[in-house]
Amino acid sequence: MTEHNSDKVQHIHRELHSHLPPEPALRVRALESLLVEKGMVDPRTVDAWIEVYTEDIGPKRGAQIVARAWADPEFKQSLLASGTEAITEFGLGYAHLKVVENTAEVHNLVVCTLCSCYPLSVLGIAPAWYKMASYRARAVRDPRGVLDEFGVRLPESVEIRVRDSTAELRYMVLPQRPPGTEGWSEEQLARLVTRNSMIGTERDLSHRVGEVR
Amino acid sequence: MDGIHDLGGRQGFGLVDVNEPEEAFHEVWEGRVWGIARAMTRLPDWNLDWFRHCRELIDPVDYLTRPYFDQWVQTYAAMLVNSGAATVEEVASGRSQSIVPGLKPPMPSEAVQQAKSMLVRFDREGTAEPALAVGDVIRAKAHGVTGHTRLPAYVRGRRGVIEACHGAHVLPDAKAHGDDRAEPLYTVAFDATELWPDAAGRRDRVFLDLWESYLERA
Repeated sequence: MTEHNSDKVQHIHRELHSHLPPEPALRVRALESLLVEKGMVDPRTVDAWIEVYTEDIGPKRGAQIVARAWADPEFKQSLLASGTEAITEFGLGYAHLKVVENTAEVHNLVVCTLCSCYPLSVLGIAPAWYKMASYRARAVRDPRGVLDEFGVRLPESVEIRVRDSTAELRYMVLPQRPPGTEGWSEEQLARLVTRNSMIGTERDLSHRVGEVR
Repeated sequence: MDGIHDLGGRQGFGLVDVNEPEEAFHEVWEGRVWGIARAMTRLPDWNLDWFRHCRELIDPVDYLTRPYFDQWVQTYAAMLVNSGAATVEEVASGRSQSIVPGLKPPMPSEAVQQAKSMLVRFDREGTAEPALAVGDVIRAKAHGVTGHTRLPAYVRGRRGVIEACHGAHVLPDAKAHGDDRAEPLYTVAFDATELWPDAAGRRDRVFLDLWESYLERA
């Protein structure tokens, strides 16, 4: 067993800084070739994982869950009570999913101030802005300023609930169903749902009703 | 640790890039890093909390200026060296000079379809009874710790209300340093006005998931 010593790792980081190749792409190539030679990585498996997160696992999975919740009040109730159990049938493999609902009075905004926690298995790879200092620093302190940059302007009467993902619970926002979509199929409803609306950096989806109809 | 990663509430970082194209990876090498991270064999002393801590320990200038997935390369490289599986020279050259004893063959590509929906649980039912209940008023501990923790600086010393109890979850502060134990985990709601002088008059709240040892009764 090796040690989990912070000072030692800090020293290693400095050593690496002075010795690794100058470009990210070159650093990645060196790491992969080393791991292949060490027998720790099969490059075909790397390809397969890239394909899964490019083609298969992405925001359309979250959109299906949202659409089901809009169409089926019982499902919505169990989704809000226990996201993990409710999505079992979707086969998405999520241990601790917490779905939070936007209403006329409440708007939810998800962030991870300490690193980059994000509901990967329902929304796919997080956008780069979600992982950058500006969003992480400001979402908890100036959520209205951040939302304004995304084009979302909220009256003071709407309470913002910022969700800082500090543990292994992963937050997904259930946006409000836009009016004029009564009787729509789940498939149609899912096409209304954007990635940002499930992070909370978009709120009103009614402008999409005309596009999807 | 009071590191550069603890960004909540810091000022001066400018605007958010709201026009970023919506695609999983913007560069080929970014996808490569993601794939390597999913495909690679974990060494026995590695875990998610240790990975997060090793990322926090990146030199502060690099932490703020290097692209996200480039930081992952740096983090895995440091973990390999720390565990004795590689030297700095090996990581720099990409050429292996030694083998790591006792490793199983790497994950085969056929395993990905099953692995992609694997459940990893962090709760540990019945290992610790919660001392706090929904509605209790708490104060987050005023001081941080030197190692890994998930108590951000911006809530330390502030009053909040227990919003939900989640049973016992693995404590990252211990796990990151090799000790697997669980503690009750709570969602705690803080009024924006309790956290920020500039939030005066706003009814907004910030919710965090915090372990019991981060909290004391107010």
